[in-house]
Amino acid sequence: MNGTPEAPEQIIYIVDDDEALRDSLVWLLESNRYRVAQFASAEAFLEAYHADMAGCIVLDVRMPGMSGLELYECLRERHATLPVVFITGHGDVPMAVSVLKKGAVDFIEKPFSDRDMLKLIEQCLAAERESRSRVRQDAVVARRLDLLTQREMEVLELIIAGRLNKQIADDLGISIKTVEVHRARVMEKMEANSLAELVQSVMTCEAARGRFVD
Amino acid sequence: MPLDAGASDNGNQAFSLIAVDHPAFVWPEAMAKPTAARAQARTELYWTVPYVAVVVFAVAMLVLVWVLQRQETEIQRNAIARDVQWAEQTMRLHMQGTEEFLTQMARDLAAGSLDLDNFQLRANQHIANNPQLINLVWVEPGEVVRWSAPFDTTDWLAGDVLTSTQTVAFFRAREIGRPAYGDPYVNPRGEPVLELYIPVRHGRRFMGSMVAVYSIDQIVRHLVPSWFSEKYRLALIGPRGDTLAVNSSVQALDESVAYAIALDPPANGLMLRATAFRTVGAIPRALPTIMIVGLSVLMLWSLWLLRSHMRRRVRVEKERDRLFNLSLDILSILSADGTFRRCNPAYERLLGYPVDQMPGRPLLDFVHDDDIVATIEQLRLLANGQPVSFENRVRCADGRYKWLVWSINPVLDEKLFYAVAHDITGRKATEEALRAESAFRRAMEESVVTGLRAIDLSGRIIYANPAFCRMVGRSADELVGAMPPFPYWPEEDIPRCQHNLDITLAGQAPPSGFEMKVLRKSGERLDARFYLSPLIDGSGKQTGWMASVTDITEPKRVRAALEAAHKRFEAVLDGLDSAVFVADARNDEILYANRAFMALHGFDVIGRRARAVTQPQPELGDYRVDPRKLQPADVPMELFDDELRNPLSGHWYHVREQATRWVDGRVVRMGIATDITDRRQMEEMSRQQEERLQRTARLVTMGEMASTLAHELNQPLAAISNYAMGCVKRMESGDYRQDDLLAAMQKASFQAERAGKIIRRIRDFVRKSEPRRTAVSLDEVVDDTLGFADIDARKAAVRVRRDIAPKLPPVYADRIMIEQVLLNLVKNGMDAMADTPEDSRVLTLSARVVREGLVEVSVADRGHGIRDEDAERLFTPFFTTKSEGMGMGLNICRSIIEFHDGRLWTEANPEGGTVFRFTLPVEIAGERNARSA
Repeated sequence: MNGTPEAPEQIIYIVDDDEALRDSLVWLLESNRYRVAQFASAEAFLEAYHADMAGCIVLDVRMPGMSGLELYECLRERHATLPVVFITGHGDVPMAVSVLKKGAVDFIEKPFSDRDMLKLIEQCLAAERESRSRVRQDAVVARRLDLLTQREMEVLELIIAGRLNKQIADDLGISIKTVEVHRARVMEKMEANSLAELVQSVMTCEAARGRFVD
Repeated sequence: MPLDAGASDNGNQAFSLIAVDHPAFVWPEAMAKPTAARAQARTELYWTVPYVAVVVFAVAMLVLVWVLQRQETEIQRNAIARDVQWAEQTMRLHMQGTEEFLTQMARDLAAGSLDLDNFQLRANQHIANNPQLINLVWVEPGEVVRWSAPFDTTDWLAGDVLTSTQTVAFFRAREIGRPAYGDPYVNPRGEPVLELYIPVRHGRRFMGSMVAVYSIDQIVRHLVPSWFSEKYRLALIGPRGDTLAVNSSVQALDESVAYAIALDPPANGLMLRATAFRTVGAIPRALPTIMIVGLSVLMLWSLWLLRSHMRRRVRVEKERDRLFNLSLDILSILSADGTFRRCNPAYERLLGYPVDQMPGRPLLDFVHDDDIVATIEQLRLLANGQPVSFENRVRCADGRYKWLVWSINPVLDEKLFYAVAHDITGRKATEEALRAESAFRRAMEESVVTGLRAIDLSGRIIYANPAFCRMVGRSADELVGAMPPFPYWPEEDIPRCQHNLDITLAGQAPPSGFEMKVLRKSGERLDARFYLSPLIDGSGKQTGWMASVTDITEPKRVRAALEAAHKRFEAVLDGLDSAVFVADARNDEILYANRAFMALHGFDVIGRRARAVTQPQPELGDYRVDPRKLQPADVPMELFDDELRNPLSGHWYHVREQATRWVDGRVVRMGIATDITDRRQMEEMSRQQEERLQRTARLVTMGEMASTLAHELNQPLAAISNYAMGCVKRMESGDYRQDDLLAAMQKASFQAERAGKIIRRIRDFVRKSEPRRTAVSLDEVVDDTLGFADIDARKAAVRVRRDIAPKLPPVYADRIMIEQVLLNLVKNGMDAMADTPEDSRVLTLSARVVREGLVEVSVADRGHGIRDEDAERLFTPFFTTKSEGMGMGLNICRSIIEFHDGRLWTEANPEGGTVFRFTLPVEIAGERNARSA
C-alpha cells in the first residue's frame, strides 16, 4: 500500500503438478504484471523455501507425493506467514473448507475465472504486505524501547496511562523537573514528535503491549 | 651285531639283577659269625670278672672276720686263764684258811682246851664267815661223829658212822697225818660236798679227825667275785670228769673260751673250769659274715639280672640290626645338613651305591634335577623340626632314576634325620599306566555318544557317563545317588518309568529295551531307548543294572516325519478327485491306485491289467513312445497329456500319463485322469459371466471414474481459460509481443484437444457397459447383496431386515446391475444412519409385486432423512451430501433402473429416515422371445 522502498518485491509462488495449468497460470499472472515463480511439486517448493520470501503461494490441493494440504501444514510448522490460495477440483470443497478453518487465506475451485483468481491474489499480497510492515514497525518500536532506562520506562508507562507530570513525580517520588527531563529523553529516544505519536507507536507494537500488560 | 649286544646286555642285566638280589637271602649274621663268637667269649670273660671279684671280695672279708674273731677269742682265752688262775688262787686261799682254822682247832682239841661249847662257838662262827662250809665235825678215831657244828645240822649227827668213802679220806688223813681231802660226793640231801679231814693227834695218840664239809656249789658261788661269775661260768669237775657244780646255768656259754685248772689243795683230781659267757649273741657275731655273704649274693644277683638285661638288649639290638640290614626299604640317618650318616644295605640293593661309601655324601647329590627344589623345601621343613613325607626321583648308580617315597623324621636334639625311603618306581609306573588307562577310559567315556547309566540293585543311580549327563542336561553330581523317581522322568510319565524300573530290577527287562521319554533340565523332552544289562563286578556278583541309552528323538522324529509324509502323500492322493494309478510299463500290471481310481474302476484293481480296467485311456498309438519299450535310463518321460471323453458316461477327463521309475527300479506308467466335465462347463459359464461382469464393472465404477475424469477435465479447461485471459489482458494493455500471444494460444488449443480426448475416453467406457437382461430371482439378488453388505452392516451396527414377498416372480433384468443398485442403496441407507442411535439402526429390504408384471423393491433407513431442497437435486450428477461421496451413485442407479424400464424415487420414511424404491418388470417369456427375435 505505502510501498516503502525497503520492502522486498512480492513474488507469487505457483505449486502445481499439472504442467499445463501451471504454465497457463504463469502466463495469466505475468500478463497482469506480477512476478511469478513456479514449482512442480510441494517438495520442490519446500526445498526452495526461506523465511524471507514475500508474496503469496498458489497451491494445488491434489498432487502426487506431498499434497498441497501437507505442504501447508509444513509451512505452518515453520511459522511461515505467506498467505496461501488453494486451487481445488470438484469434490475437494469440504477439504478446502477445513483448510480455510486452519487459517489459509482462500481457495478457488477449478475451473476458475481469471477475475476471481486475480482478485484473490491481490488480496493476499496486500494482506502480506501489511502484516510484514507491521512486523517491521513493531521491530522498530521494540528496538527503541530497548534504549530506555528503567526509570524512563516507568515514566513512559505512566505517560501512556495518561498521568500528568506532577502525578508522575508524586508516583515515583521524584521532582517534576526530573520527570520533565525523563519525558524529554523518552520522546527523543522513541523518535516521537508528539505525545499522540508516542502513545500510538507504543500501543500498536505487539512487543510493547506485551511489556505493559503487567 | 647290535642285536647280540642288546641280548647280551639284557643277559647282563638279568644276571646283575640276580646278583643284586642274592645277598638279600644271606643272613648277614652268618658273615659275622667268627667275630661274633670272639665277641661272645670276650663278653663271657667280661661277665666272669665281676663274679670272681665279688666272690674273692666276699672270701677275703670272711677271712678277715674270722681272723678278727680268732684274735678276739684268743684274747678272751688269755683273760679267762688269768681269771681262772686268780679264782683258783682265791679258793686255795680260802681252803688253806679253813685248813689252818681246823688245824688250830685240832690242836686245841688235842690239847684238851677245846670243849664242846667252845667248839660249837668257834665252828659256828667260822661257818658263818665261810658260807662254803656246811659242817664242821669232830670224828672220833672209831669213825664215829662226836661233835658236829652247826648244832642244827642233820647230816652229821653225833654218833653217826662214817661212810666208806668218808672212811678212805679219814684213814688217809690219819696215815699221812696231814689234811686230806676226801673224794667229792653227793650227800643224802643231793648236795655235792667235799670233805677235808684234818687228823687230831695228841702226841702219838690219834684222836680222830676234824672234818670240814664244803658245799661244792657254795665254793663255786661264793668264792669268786660277782664280776667273775658275770663273765664266766665256773664249774667244778670231778675226777671222773663229771660236773659237780656250776655257778650259773642260765647264760649261754662260749665253749671256745674255756679254761680248766686243777684245784690244789684238794689235789684229788678236782678241776676248776671256767667257760666264758658269750659276751655277744651268736647272731651279732655272725652278722658281718651274713652281711658279707648276703651282700655278695645280692651283688651276684644284681649282676645276673644286669647281665640278662644286657643280653636282652643285645638280642633286641641284634634283631634291629638284622631288620635294618634286611629291610627292603632304604633306611638311613642323615645329618642336619642333609648328608648321609648311615645307610642300610637296601641302599646298595636299590640304588647300587656301596653302603660304606654313602656316609658323608649329601642326599641332594642323588636327587633328580626336577625334584631338587621340592626336596630342598622338604629339608628346610625338616630343619624346622617338622616330620615330612614326600616323593622324589633318585639317581641309581647305573644312571637310571627311581621313584622313592621318603618319610623323614627329624630329631633335633641329635641334629639327625631318620629317613625311610620306599621304592615306588613300580607303583609310579603302575600309577602312570593306571592314569593313562583311566584317561583313556575317560576319553572313551566322554567320546561315547551313547548314554550309560548304572543303578544298583535298589535302583539308586551309581554312575552316569557324560553322554547321559548331556542327554538329560544334568551334571553327574545331580544324578549319582538319586533314587527313583529320577529327576529326568517327566512328571506325566512317572508311573510308566517306575513300572519299567521295577521290571528292570526284577531282571525282566526286554532285550529290545524300553522306549521312554526323558525330561531334560531345560524342560524339553526327548525320546530315548534304554537297553539294560546286568552290572557284574570283579567277583562275578551282580551289583546293579547298566543301561545304555540312545537318543532316538531324531530317528523317531524322522520316522514320524516319514510316516506323516507317507500319510500325507496317501491322504493327498486319496483326497484327489483325479484317478491315479501306477502300472508296470512292460506287463501293464497295476501297482498302485488311489481311492478315486478305485471308486471309478473297482476296489480290486491292484494286480489287474491297466488296459483292461481304465476308461478312458489313450490308444497305444497316441503315446509319444511305446511305454513297453522304455528303459530305466529313459525315464522320467511324459507319455501323454490330453483331454479324453469317456464314451459311456460322456464325461470329459484330462488324462496325463508319465513314465517314471518305480520304487523298486522298474519302469512304470503313472496315469492321472481328472474329471474335467464340471470344469469345462464352469469355464464356459464363468467366461460368459466374466464378460458381463467386466462390462458391468465398468459402468459401476463409472462413478469413481467420473470424479477422476472431471478433475482431469478441469485441468485443460482451467489452462485454456488462463491462456485466453492472459492473452486478453495483454492485448488490453497493449503491451505484448505477438509471438508470446501466439505461443499461449497454441498451448490453449492443445489443452482443448486434451479435454476432447478425455471426453472420448468416457464415451468409450460407457459404450462397453451394455447390460444383459435375463430372468433374475430377486430373492437371490437380495441374498447376494446382503452377503456383500454384511461386513459393513456389522461394522456400522446396523440390523438388516428382509421382507421379501413369497413366490415372487423372477424379474427381467441384468442381475449384476440390479445387485449394484441394491448395494448402493443399502450402503447409502447405512451411511445415513451413522448418527442414529444404535438400537434404531434398522435397514429394511422389501420386495413385492405392486401390479401385474411389476415388482417394487424398497430400501428403508431410519437415518437423517432428506431435506426438500436436496430431494430435488438428489439424482443430479455430482450431487452428494456425504463428505467423501462422489455424487454419482444415485444418478447411475437411476440410469440403470430406467434402462430396465423401471423407476427410482424416494419417499420419507414414516418411521423417520428415507425410503428408496424402484420397480422392475417381471420376466415374461413372450417378451424375452420377442426380444431375442
